[in-house]
Amino acid sequence: MRKVYIAVVLIGFAAIVASHLTSPSSGRAVSPEDFAGACAPCGAPCPSVKK
Amino acid sequence: MTTATLETRAAGPAAHADFLFLGLSLIATAVLIALVLLDGQPASAALILGGFGLGIAFLKVEFSFTASWRRFLTKGEAGGMLGGLIVIAVTALAVVPVAALSPKFGGAIAPIGPSLLIGSFTFGIGMQLANGCGSGTLYTVGGGSGRMLVTLLFFVIGSVLGSLSLPPVLALGGIDPVLASHYFGPWGGLAVTLASLAAVAAAMIAVAKRRGANFIPSRSYIAGGIVIGLLCIAVFWAGGHPWSVTFGYTVWGAKIAMLLGFNLSSFGFWQWAGPKHALAQSVLSDTSSLTDFGMLFGAMAAAAATKPFASAKWPPAKSLLAAAIGGLLCGWGARLGFGCNIGAFVSGVASGSLHGWVWFGMALLGCLVGIRLRPLFGLSRD
Repeated sequence: MRKVYIAVVLIGFAAIVASHLTSPSSGRAVSPEDFAGACAPCGAPCPSVKK
Repeated sequence: MTTATLETRAAGPAAHADFLFLGLSLIATAVLIALVLLDGQPASAALILGGFGLGIAFLKVEFSFTASWRRFLTKGEAGGMLGGLIVIAVTALAVVPVAALSPKFGGAIAPIGPSLLIGSFTFGIGMQLANGCGSGTLYTVGGGSGRMLVTLLFFVIGSVLGSLSLPPVLALGGIDPVLASHYFGPWGGLAVTLASLAAVAAAMIAVAKRRGANFIPSRSYIAGGIVIGLLCIAVFWAGGHPWSVTFGYTVWGAKIAMLLGFNLSSFGFWQWAGPKHALAQSVLSDTSSLTDFGMLFGAMAAAAATKPFASAKWPPAKSLLAAAIGGLLCGWGARLGFGCNIGAFVSGVASGSLHGWVWFGMALLGCLVGIRLRPLFGLSRD
C-alpha cells in the first residue's frame, strides 16, 4: 500500500501543478455560486428561472 | 472516524514519524501556497491553510459523520451526532448574519425538489458502504487508508456522472431556496437557525434516552467541534462562501475525462457559468479544490508525524467493492443533492437554508438502507 501511496501522491501533485501551469487562472479563486443566476453550490440555476 | 482509518491507525503502536510522507505533505502544501501567492492570491493561500487545519483537526479528533450516524441509527448513541451539530452552530454564528449583511459573502443555498431528495438519499446509502462522506473520504485518504483511495477514485467518477444527470433531474421541478434570513432578517435568521439546531439536538437526546444509549459527546468531539466550526468560519471568510468539498471532485474528474478525450463541455451542467469557468481554469482557481488539497495534505502531515504512514495491508476484495460502489453512489448523490455532509448539510444548515435539513433527513433514511447492505460486503452494521 505504501508504494501505491507514493505513486498516487507524486502523480496527483504533478497533475495539480501541471493543471495550474497549463490553464488560465484569472484573479481570485471562485466558487460556482459567485456567478450570476447560481442557485446552488454547483452553480445550478433556480427552478423559478427555468419556468 | 471511519473503520477504514481505524484499521490503519491500529496497525501498530506509534513508533516514530514517517519523514518521507511528512516531508511530501509539507513540501506539496508549501509549493501550492507559493503558486497561488505568485498569482497574487493570498485568499487562495488562506483556503489551502484552512483545509490543512481541517485535515489535522478531523484526523486528530477522529471526527466521523458516517460512524456517528450509524451509531445513532443502530444503537441510539447521539454523542457523535451532537458533535456535528456543534460544528454547525459555531459556523452559523458567522455565516447567517455575514451572508445576509455583506454582498461580498454568500451562504450555501440550494433548491428543494426531486433532485435534492434523490441525491441526498443516494448519498446516505453510499456513505455507509464507502465508510466515509465527502470530508471523511478526504481525511482518511490523507491519513493513509488504501481502502479510501478506492472510495475517492469512484467518488470522483460518480460525481462526473452526477454532473451529467443533474440538469434533466432538475427539470423535474422544485422550489427556490428557502433561507431563514430572507424571512427573519440576519439576526432573526440566526436565532431560527440555532433554534432548529436545538430542536434537532433535543430530539436526538430523547431518542438516545429512550434507547438507553449515551448522548453526551466526548470531550474531544466537543473541543473538535468548536475547532472545526472556527475553521469553517475561516474558510468562509477566505472564500466568500461556506466550505464545500465535492464540487472539487467533479472538476478533477471532468478535467481527467477531457484529457482522455471525452468532451463534457456540450453537457448542460458544464454550460452553466460556474462549472464552465471551473473546467477552463486552473484547478487552483476553484475554492473547493483549494481546501480539498489542503485537507488531504494536512491529514497526511498529521498522520505521518506520529507513525509509519500507510503501513496497513489492503482490506479484503469485498470491502474494496463496497468502497467502489459506495464512492460511486456518494459522487452521484452529492451532485444531485447539491453537496455532501459538508456542502449541503453543515454549510446549508449553517447558512439558515432549509435544504440542509431536507438533505439531512433524506441522507439519514439512505443510511438506514446502507447499513442493511453493509453485511453483504463483510462490513459490520455497527
